[in-house]
Amino acid sequence: MRRGVLLAALAALTLSAACAPSVPGSSGSAGAQQPASSDRLTIGTTADVLNYNPLVGNSRTDSWVTNLMYPHLTQMDMSGKRVPYLATEWSYAEDGKSATVTLRDDMKWSDGKPVTADDVVFSVMTVKKENFGVVAGLITALDEAVAVSPTQVRFDLTRPDGTFLDNVGFWLPVVPKHVFEKAPSVQKFANDSNWVSAGPFKLTKVERGQRYVMERVDGFGPGAPAVKEVVFRVFPDVNTEVLALRNGEIDVIGNVLPPATAAELKNDPSVKLEQIPSLGWAHLQYNVKRKPLDDVRVRQALAHAVDYEAIRNIALKGYAKSSNSSVLTPSLPEWTDPSAKEYAFDPALSKQLLAQAGVSNLSLSMIYDQADPNIARWAPMVRDSAKQAGITIKLQGLERNTYVDKSLNHDFDIYAGSWAIMDNPPANLGLAFKTGGYINYGQVSDPELDALIDKAQKALSVEEAKPPIQEAARRIRDQVYDNVLYVETFNIAHSVKWTGFKPMPSELLSIVNPLSLAAAKPAG
Amino acid sequence: MRFIGLRLARGLLTLWFAVTVTFFLVRLLPGDPVTAVADPNMTEALRQKLLADFGLDKPLGAQYLDYLGQLLHGNLGMSFRQSIPVTTVLMERLPWTLILTGAAMVVTIVLGIPLGVLAATRARGWVDRVIQITGVTAQSLFVPSVGIFLMYLLGVWLRWFPIGGAVDLDATGFAATLSMLHHLVLPCLSLVLIQLGGYVLTMRTTLIEALGEDYVSLAKAKGVRPGTVVWKHALRNALLPTTTIAGLQLGTLVGGAVLTETIYAYPGVGRAIYEAVGQLDFPVLQGAFVLLAAAVVAANLITDVAYGILDPRVRTS
Repeated sequence: MRRGVLLAALAALTLSAACAPSVPGSSGSAGAQQPASSDRLTIGTTADVLNYNPLVGNSRTDSWVTNLMYPHLTQMDMSGKRVPYLATEWSYAEDGKSATVTLRDDMKWSDGKPVTADDVVFSVMTVKKENFGVVAGLITALDEAVAVSPTQVRFDLTRPDGTFLDNVGFWLPVVPKHVFEKAPSVQKFANDSNWVSAGPFKLTKVERGQRYVMERVDGFGPGAPAVKEVVFRVFPDVNTEVLALRNGEIDVIGNVLPPATAAELKNDPSVKLEQIPSLGWAHLQYNVKRKPLDDVRVRQALAHAVDYEAIRNIALKGYAKSSNSSVLTPSLPEWTDPSAKEYAFDPALSKQLLAQAGVSNLSLSMIYDQADPNIARWAPMVRDSAKQAGITIKLQGLERNTYVDKSLNHDFDIYAGSWAIMDNPPANLGLAFKTGGYINYGQVSDPELDALIDKAQKALSVEEAKPPIQEAARRIRDQVYDNVLYVETFNIAHSVKWTGFKPMPSELLSIVNPLSLAAAKPAG
Repeated sequence: MRFIGLRLARGLLTLWFAVTVTFFLVRLLPGDPVTAVADPNMTEALRQKLLADFGLDKPLGAQYLDYLGQLLHGNLGMSFRQSIPVTTVLMERLPWTLILTGAAMVVTIVLGIPLGVLAATRARGWVDRVIQITGVTAQSLFVPSVGIFLMYLLGVWLRWFPIGGAVDLDATGFAATLSMLHHLVLPCLSLVLIQLGGYVLTMRTTLIEALGEDYVSLAKAKGVRPGTVVWKHALRNALLPTTTIAGLQLGTLVGGAVLTETIYAYPGVGRAIYEAVGQLDFPVLQGAFVLLAAAVVAANLITDVAYGILDPRVRTS
């Protein structure tokens, strides 16, 4: 028996011994006390890189990592305007049937070869020929791309398309032709080793499921990075990232913080919150093909039955702006319509509109992604405010893929959701509200609206596109084809030990965009 | 030989069943891999092309036969999202899952058997009662709750252990081994805590039964030392049900590992499954389930064979 007790004690000792080691350089508590050095900046993310081919990958982490490796023609300033990156200048021909882009002449691939117009032409024409990825749907007007010189590209278009340069500039990653052209199919090229890249950092080490290590590139054209190494570390969720930031294990949380978490972190002296505007908006869409939602008075009644201010102040903790019920949001100030006015929360008016439409006991279901922390907070508020107008809304919180499937198949009465990035109103309103648009969930089909959007898309400048697109936005608001609730103010957290970030709008760019990470440095 | 052959045939049949169920189950999930990557800029034509690229435009029966054919050639297919073979995806992750589940199993057995013996030999005493209450409580715990509790207590509050990952970036050589153990403690402890109760209570019950047998009384009457009676005579017979539990618990362990790896961002197969579900990456999901099902079938086979060796009556029945 004594031997049994001894064995049990030995087993307990084994376990506690396994618990004991304190590892040099461990990612434990020590990090919280040490000052930041310019050796390493660690960024938390909630997913692995799925695809290193930037023309294919489209998850957040894919974009964050590959954006540091493959240049885009342009980046974006805080008002959503394109700013130079690989491209220094861009313009349309007078007839709008071609566009020209001038490139920097000091960008090099990591194998020493220069980044040239041939690379840009190869990237865009490959997407067109093989028809894949995010960019394919944006270049339907492209006929041919031509390298006029090593630093100049001409895009020949089949029709005037004023959205083309904005879209290609922002969304198209430029890949090295001499590497990617060897793949039989670029779409199926995994690009998962021996990376040839041209950005402020190059990928040097991958530990899938754990981290991605990127080293500084000396002589990077647009600005030499201060930090020697950037590490993306994978965590299961934002909450764990917050714990890791507080523990000193990471320096930046790449993901947007939920408003409640941001409100909590606001007073933490070791954390700084950078506020960036969202390029999307949160909204309710009504299935206009379903009765009685085909009656504009019913949709207006629903619009007057939402307490917008309460949603922004309570569910979003004040981290949201009103868009005045317009799809031209304050995040893109050069497009906004100053005459836009938000629907008032007025249950009495709602009841009146329903009575005029001859509708009583209105009962509808509302789908939303139950994993979205914001919508999960405000969906019950939408239900409760509608109740005051005598409208019953049944909430259907769904698993994400089910939700997306139902949205694409228009299988809902009310859709509650949010767009992530709507960076070019003429292009985006076409996808969301033109007849047959891929994300036209509410099945809007309005010839007058289609014509206005077409006109805006053909315009070659903001000044020219503004009148028709503002008219389109007013029509969307008045017909309640979309009920815009708010535009979120994103909070991105980083340790106070770091400074110099150059924030850009949207979670895609935020403070982890290439120009920002190149400028980041230890504080003090 | 016939005994092993029969068990092997049964194992293969189970595996085929698991493959079939998994194949159809993932396709019953709402949406499809294209909707999972739905992008606002996508067109319907582009969507249809992607479905065809993934081979999802064929009838379900044809997809199933294609998949079985692939499997027979040892090919688990290509990941939809990563454009690399599923075997590569899984082989990168498998060592971590083996380390985690292996460590959890060893620690559970090493602790479970002596604690069961201790409870059985002190039956109805206070030690027994404490062990029983703790065992029942541990059995009723839910892995994520245990994981999060341990993470807060030992990782965030006391800062003894890292709250995620598997090894430090800068650690090399022996330091890397230590770092690995350091990172292993919390996920391993979470799995041990939920499994331990089952082993301890089974061990206790079967040993109490064994200690009441005639051969134990005879050994005692012959003057054999009490320790020898317990550890040499009674324990061998009492170990039989525990061996069965070890095999059965592997399924629970694997399920627990999926959750534990997710909580601690531990880079094993479990976390790969969690990610693949969100992306509806059918080939990775199918491959991971086939791998885990094969592991459970193999463990049960080994258990059956071990049982046969420990108790020859099983082989002839």
